[in-house]
Amino acid sequence: MSKAEFLPRRVYIEKKSLQRALTKRILKNIGRIPLEIVEDSQGFLEERKISRDSIKHGKKDLFITSQKGEFVKPCPCTPHFIGCNYYIINLDLNCPLDCTYCILQHYLSDSIITVHANLDDLWTQLDIFLSKNEDRTIRIGTGELGDSLVIDHLTGNSKELISYFKNKHNVIFELKTKTVNIENILNSDPAPNIIISWSLNSSKIAESEEGGSPAIEERINAAQIVVDRGFRVGFHFDPLIFYPGCEKDYGEVVENLLEHIDPPRIAWISLGSLRFPPSLKEIIQERFPETKIIYSEMIKGKDGKLRYFKPIRLELYKNIVRAIKEKGGRRVPLYFCMEGKSIWREVLGWVPTGKEGLEAYLSSPLGKSIV
Amino acid sequence: MKKEQLALKEISLKDERFRTSYHFSLQKLKLSLEETGLLNPPLVTLRDNRFILVSGWKRVLACLELSFTAIPVYVIEEKNELQVFLMALYENLATREFSLLEKAEILARLKKFGENEKRIIRHYLPFLDIPQTLSHLDAYLAFSQFELELKRAAHEKNMAFSTLKLLAGFTLQEQRLLLPLLLPLGQNKQKELLEDLLEIAKRNNLPAKNMLLSKEIKAVQANETLAPLQKADKIRALLKEKRYPVFSSWKDSFDSLLKKMKWPREITVNPSPFFEEDSFTVIFSFENQEQFKTNLLKLEELSSRAEFLEIFKMR
Repeated sequence: MSKAEFLPRRVYIEKKSLQRALTKRILKNIGRIPLEIVEDSQGFLEERKISRDSIKHGKKDLFITSQKGEFVKPCPCTPHFIGCNYYIINLDLNCPLDCTYCILQHYLSDSIITVHANLDDLWTQLDIFLSKNEDRTIRIGTGELGDSLVIDHLTGNSKELISYFKNKHNVIFELKTKTVNIENILNSDPAPNIIISWSLNSSKIAESEEGGSPAIEERINAAQIVVDRGFRVGFHFDPLIFYPGCEKDYGEVVENLLEHIDPPRIAWISLGSLRFPPSLKEIIQERFPETKIIYSEMIKGKDGKLRYFKPIRLELYKNIVRAIKEKGGRRVPLYFCMEGKSIWREVLGWVPTGKEGLEAYLSSPLGKSIV
Repeated sequence: MKKEQLALKEISLKDERFRTSYHFSLQKLKLSLEETGLLNPPLVTLRDNRFILVSGWKRVLACLELSFTAIPVYVIEEKNELQVFLMALYENLATREFSLLEKAEILARLKKFGENEKRIIRHYLPFLDIPQTLSHLDAYLAFSQFELELKRAAHEKNMAFSTLKLLAGFTLQEQRLLLPLLLPLGQNKQKELLEDLLEIAKRNNLPAKNMLLSKEIKAVQANETLAPLQKADKIRALLKEKRYPVFSSWKDSFDSLLKKMKWPREITVNPSPFFEEDSFTVIFSFENQEQFKTNLLKLEELSSRAEFLEIFKMR
């Protein structure tokens, strides 16, 4: 990464995970960093919650443990909006990047960066899950509860995941990141069903709201290198954030993106505007008193989340979609994350027939039909 | 701890180091004391040759108002301030609920008497039914710094934790300006007003007092034809409009359109909440077939007008 690669201040290892292969790999990659063996995980995590900014505190350390429940879950999306049938793999939790708007501040009860080392269980669970879904396309990815690549130089998980998924021909696997930590990707073999995605924003927002993340130009540059290596890529303009002058700023990012990345190599671009549960607002106010993004005109949507008043969302979406189309991305599949029919219709001119319809639309990396 | 009979004048009420309750009515207690006398002696302790009250402020003040000259007390010999305070705390804990402001005073005293944050969170917050987080402790400690008048109002109006937390984000001057606006309002409206004001201030990078001292708000406050509740409601609406200008203008346009169409009062038409959905709702009531048909005819007539189509642009 251009901002120095993450190295934890201290590593905590749950006693039961000490002998796991991933634990050993992390310890080998991490070098001389203080270690502590944890006997009682629950007590350890509870104790860490008492800190003036336990979230910030959690971003400095690494906890190696085992996933007790299911690794694979349907992406929760949000009630009353059009979903995309995506599945998430909860491999790592939390992230050393410190974005003001990050939902994980509210969503995860423990704030320490956590690696689940029981990969054997992951492969078994994935085998079972995929065997039950052989007759349909599965879109699945990491990067929902933590950045897919931000600690990849320590875990090396991306190589194993790509290797596992590249021959699963009904599966589209996505790694989603804000970083330029692509060394392991470049050392992996590309396949049409493997998508490496970047979250993008305007440079102004990246600088002021995405603490610790590389600049937008660096992310696009990393994407270009990955494309040159033979991978397809995806981009997520999410969350789009409204501010005076945002139209011009987002337009510049789109122009830069499409100048550097050949549109046919783009599997999809997703769009979503800033949204969050009301309880996150308080956390953001406490942790980032300088940010103003939560003071825009937001209303409580039908899912209970705060989001921009619809005319503002429409303006954001129409402007960026126009820019994408004007700059050569007319054929790139676009979709909305957590939006309703009226936004789809008004901005893109069509509405998917439920989440299955959207799934089919986004299956183009497998050469399937588009709507 | 020994029981003694003590002249009331020997108890120094100026020393409030252990006091956590300030706002109470003595009426019922006085009636009880007149009937049965003081059955439950307050706790006192000796400091610098003076007896100071540890717990039982309400009882002692009521006895004074009834002109009792001497009362039974328990004298605590313990010298450690924290230990003495804990005796009072546990005595009260067993017999009554604490208000938000009392909890704030208790936590402030615990901190003052040397308990560290971690122990307060782990050990005392559960006793006080407060979630065990540093952010809650910080909030309560901030409440303990409020001015006496605000504390009294908060206690009497039973202000919610979230309202007090918002109030703590304002300066002393702003709190003073806000208090008369908040008093006539219920809990939800208090919170809404404070949130809108705070967010306008943050968004515009200006102190909230600028808004509170603005001509528009001053004009409402100076309007003698309005009752306090009406003033507070007008100011609340004013802030809402400033906080949500685009939404307010949409709502105004929708209302103007209905006015222009002379939409009948007996038929209500509503957009979806915040114009999020494509659909609108029409509501009317009827008592018989004739009324029902009349409303349908009115709706048919309205729908045939050119202005009716403008409604569909508002979604």
